[in-house]
Formats: sequence, structure tokens, C-alpha cells
Amino acid sequence: MEAYLSALMTLLQPTNLIMMYLCAIVGCILGAIPGLSGGLGITLILPMTFALNTELSFAMLVGMYVGGVSGSFIAAVLVGIPGSAASIGTCYDGYPMTKKGQAAKALSIGITGSFIGTFVSIIVAMLCSGFIADIALMLGPWEYFSLCLMAITMVIGLSNGSVFKGLLAAFLGLWLSTVGGDLVTNQLRFTFNNINLYGGINVICLLMGVFALQQVATAYAKGRLEMPEVDASSLGGFGLTVKDFVDNARTILVSLVIGLFVGFLPGMGSGISNLIAYGQAKKMDKHPELFGTGYDPGIWATEVSNNAGVGGALIPMISLGIPGDATTVLLLSAMTIHGLQAGPMFIQQNPVLADLIFLTVLISAILVFVTEIFTKRWFPMLLKAPYHYLYGAILVICFMGAFSSTTSMFSVLLVLGFGVLGVVMDMFGMPNTPLMLAFILGSKIESYFRMGCSYARGDLTSFVTRPISLIFILVAVYSVVGPIITKAIKNRKAAKSV
Amino acid sequence: MKHKFNRTYVMGILGLALAAWIAWQTTMIPERLVSNEPGPKFFPFISAAGIALFSILSMIFDAPKDKEAKPYLDRAGWTRMGLIMAECLVYCFAMNFIGFWIASILGLFAFVWTLKGDKKINIVFAVVFCIVLSSICYFGFTRGFHIPLPSGTLWRTLDIKMP
Repeated sequence: MEAYLSALMTLLQPTNLIMMYLCAIVGCILGAIPGLSGGLGITLILPMTFALNTELSFAMLVGMYVGGVSGSFIAAVLVGIPGSAASIGTCYDGYPMTKKGQAAKALSIGITGSFIGTFVSIIVAMLCSGFIADIALMLGPWEYFSLCLMAITMVIGLSNGSVFKGLLAAFLGLWLSTVGGDLVTNQLRFTFNNINLYGGINVICLLMGVFALQQVATAYAKGRLEMPEVDASSLGGFGLTVKDFVDNARTILVSLVIGLFVGFLPGMGSGISNLIAYGQAKKMDKHPELFGTGYDPGIWATEVSNNAGVGGALIPMISLGIPGDATTVLLLSAMTIHGLQAGPMFIQQNPVLADLIFLTVLISAILVFVTEIFTKRWFPMLLKAPYHYLYGAILVICFMGAFSSTTSMFSVLLVLGFGVLGVVMDMFGMPNTPLMLAFILGSKIESYFRMGCSYARGDLTSFVTRPISLIFILVAVYSVVGPIITKAIKNRKAAKSV
Repeated sequence: MKHKFNRTYVMGILGLALAAWIAWQTTMIPERLVSNEPGPKFFPFISAAGIALFSILSMIFDAPKDKEAKPYLDRAGWTRMGLIMAECLVYCFAMNFIGFWIASILGLFAFVWTLKGDKKINIVFAVVFCIVLSSICYFGFTRGFHIPLPSGTLWRTLDIKMP
């Protein structure tokens, strides 16, 4: 309780509160604009936090995260294009509702659903994280190695596209993580006598190149810089009554549980949870035929579940050091940059900071909710933001961030190199999340593996003879092999039926 | 435009070449064995093996689906891609040569001008935007956060003191 109060006092300091609020609003704007995201915002402000204290840095980063997830429904409702994968399901009913002249109600459901999802999930995260961290303290390097492995394979197995290309990207990330001095013997690897590589590849350079520069370059090359016109004729009023909440209480509750659970599983973010919740809401409803025509439960389900993923994803990040989704991968790298070690000891060693992260989510959610309610009628203006100015600014901030992370021009050129890598990966259909996740967890995987071998006196079977480690390895194997087998069975059945 | 290359085959061949290069480079890492642990070469070898294995599997299972795939970009798209990457490269070198502040004003204007495509923009607004944003970034970082940004080798050579 003392830590909570201390965290609350820190967060309520004017500078922290104002910066958190500003970042949450910027995140909301970035989340609303298709092609941009709160994750991109985190990437861009990360270098700025080098000079700030840890509390303020995380207030800003987490505020941006909450705003980014919350804002993604705006474009889905107004123009039928999701701001991010988290709101794909919202398009199905949000946009038809706008076309029916009920944009105000659709936006109010999105705003309220987002708030409920984030608020309740973070309360659950606050209650569970300490407990999970206590359990995690009982695990050894064997279990941690298997857990990290499972996190990466789950991202690959559950992402869209080819499993093999996902695995290829993960191994590429793993190799990039080996560049620099070896953790045990300090032997230099793949440095080519370049002093800039002795400490390994800077995570900021990889993020800026593969994530931000690639996004701008491909959007421009593919000519994706136009937005459809917004019908802003029906944005007045709140549009929701108490009856709406009562009628949709079951959908909200089930979607909350789905969002929390899916967010908790490593690699399964809100991009998946919103679609699962939408499908579940459709199954449970008395009128499934109304889904897709501008039906309230469709929006409630997707928006509650994708925002519930925030709390869900923070639980494994804080208590196990394993990111729950792509954005928490960025938060985890921020922790590393600030010299913090996420994992079971994090809550014990940094109780105030851990509580500050939770409280930032809580307060950001409230502030974003109030702001969105009062500024709803101006949402269409967000979608008129000129991309040429936005993308131009992103490019400059990218290179500035890379330089400031190491004060070396080598980092700037590295961003360009990783930008080209990102474009090449996009061209080949290789997802970039497994690459980033494997890069960030790579050094952990290697050190846990080597520690495990060393403790077991070179006995590799120790990874499969310890029951919890074995379970994680089996889940890891299944998450890769499972989709391949399911697909093969489906293809065989389809072939037989023809 | 006729689609001549199967992208997955190209990816697979590049992946195999990269794996072979990583494996070759790994053999050159001096071995400093600590008892009971696999040593510094193990994970690079595992990475190379993984890249090679999944390049091959992707060529076997994914390449046939690529036959009907549309080209990634058309000729105009590749021109745009080349242009924006070339601008980034020039901006990087300019940053070192004339310093972050001036390079960013010019670079940002070039980016905005390129990214606008056929759209008309207010040039005065664009110039003001570029000066204001670059100045906020430069002075915010160097004065506000005390994080150094490139000041420019040209000015140092000419002994001109930049703000």
C-alpha cells in the first residue's frame, strides 16, 4: 500500500501528470490514424526518455501505449479502416452504424468499451502480477529458457501468414542478438573490428529501421497516403443509455475475460483478441444475423476485449519479463535502456515503479475517456491529418533518435540499413514482430540456455526432464506444428470433398 | 507488368546464402570454452541452421502459393521507394556534414515535398513547419535534455560556431 501511495504521489506531480496526459493524447491521435500507432509513438519518444528520470519516462511511454490502443477504433468507426489490427472487428459493425447515421452512438460505445476494458484489466493486473512473480521466482534457467522460446513460437504460430517465414524472421533476430561481446566469455562476435558493434546492435536502431522507416517507405512507395471522406453529420450527443449497458453486460464481461486471457498469453495481442471476442459475441447473441449490419454488441465485444489486452499484456511483462504483445516488446526494451531488469524480481526490487506503471494505465484510461467524450465531434479532423507532414516528421525523429541513443553516426546508417531490411522482409512476406521479439529475448534465451547447461554440468536433457520446462517446450512445439497440421488436415478434407 | 521472379525462391536463396555466411563467420570466432557450457559459437550456429532450414522449408511449402502473387511494387512504386531511401541516405550524410539543425530543415522540406506526391501544398506553411519542427527537435534535445546532436564537420573545419 505504501508503494502505491508513493507511486501515486510521484505520478500526480504536475510534470509527470501533464507529460503522461500529453503522451496519452498523442498516442490516441497516432492510434486513430491508419498506418500509424501508439507503438510507433513509443518508438519515437524512447530516445527522448534517455535524459529523463525513470518515473517520468514510464509515465510517458505507458500513457502513449494506453492512448494508442484506445484511439484505434476511431478510424474503424468513421471510415471503416482500422487504426490498427486491434480494431479490425470494430469495422464490421462500427462503420455500418456510422452509415446508418448513428456515428455518435458507435463512437460512444468505442470510447466507453475501451475505458471499461483498460480499467478493469489493469485492476486485475495489479492483483495478479505480484502473485505470478512469486511463482516465477521458483523457476530456474531451464524454465526461463523454455518460456522465452514459447513466447517467440507463439507469436509465430498465431500470426497471419507463413509459419516458416515467421520462424526465419525469428532466427534472423536471434542472430542479430548475438552480434557484439559474448555474455559469458566476452568473446567478440560479428563485430568486424567495428567499435560501434562491440556492445551489440542498439535496439533503438533496429526498432526505428524495421518498424518506423520501413512503414513510411512502403506506405509512400505503395501510394497509401490518402484517406476516404468522413461523414461527420451525426456526431452530436452521447448516444448511450443505462439500458445499453444492461443489455450488453454479458457481452462486456465475456469480452473482458477473453481480452485479459489473450493479452496475457505471450505473443497474442489485441489484434487477435478483438476477433475472438467478436466471434464469441456473435455465437452468444440471440440475433447473430444482425452482426455486420451496425449492431451494438459487435463494437462492445471488440473494443472491450482489445483494451483488456493492455492489462493482460502487462502481467507477463512485469512479472516474468516476457512481453505479451508487440507494444510491450517496446516497453520491455525501454526497461532495458533504463537499466531495469523485467522479471520476477522487478516488483520486489522496484515496487514503486511497478505500481507507477499500473497507476499510469489507470489514470491515463480515465483521462483519455474524459477527453474522448468531450472531443468526440472533432474526431473527423484527426483523419484529415496530412500524411506528408506526419511521415516527414517521423523520418527526421527516427534518425535523430538513433543518433541520440549512441551519439554516433554509425547508428544513423544502421537505421537506414534496417529500414532496407524491413522493406525486404515486407516484400518477402516475413513478419517483423518475431524478428524484434527474438532480438530482444535473444540474449536472455542464450544466457538462460548456457546457464542451464552449466548448472546441469552439460546435461542438455535437463531442459526436458524438469516438468514445467517440458510443458513450455511442448507448448512451443505445438504452437508451431499445430497450425501446420491443422492446415494440412483442412487441405486434405477440402481435396477429398472436391 | 509480367511477374518474372517467385519472391519466396529469391528469399530462400538469400536466406541460404546468409546462413552459409553466418556459419563461415562463426567458425572464425576464437573458442574460449568454459566448462559444461556450449560456448560463444553455439547460438550463431543455431541461428545459421535455423535460417537455412526455414529458407528451404519456405521454398518447398510457400513458394508454390507465390506463383499467382502480384508484384510487390510496380515500376513507379520502386522509383518512389528508391527516391525516399536516397533522400534518407543524403540526409544522413548531410546531418554529419552540415549538422543536424540545418540538415533537418532542408531534409524535412525535401521529405514533405516528395511525400506530397501530386498534392498542392502551401510552401510558406511547409517552410515554417520544417524550421519550427527542426528547431524544436534540435534545441529541445541539445539544450533541454542535454543530449548532443551532430553540429556539422563543415562548421568545425571553417571554425564557425553554430548555435
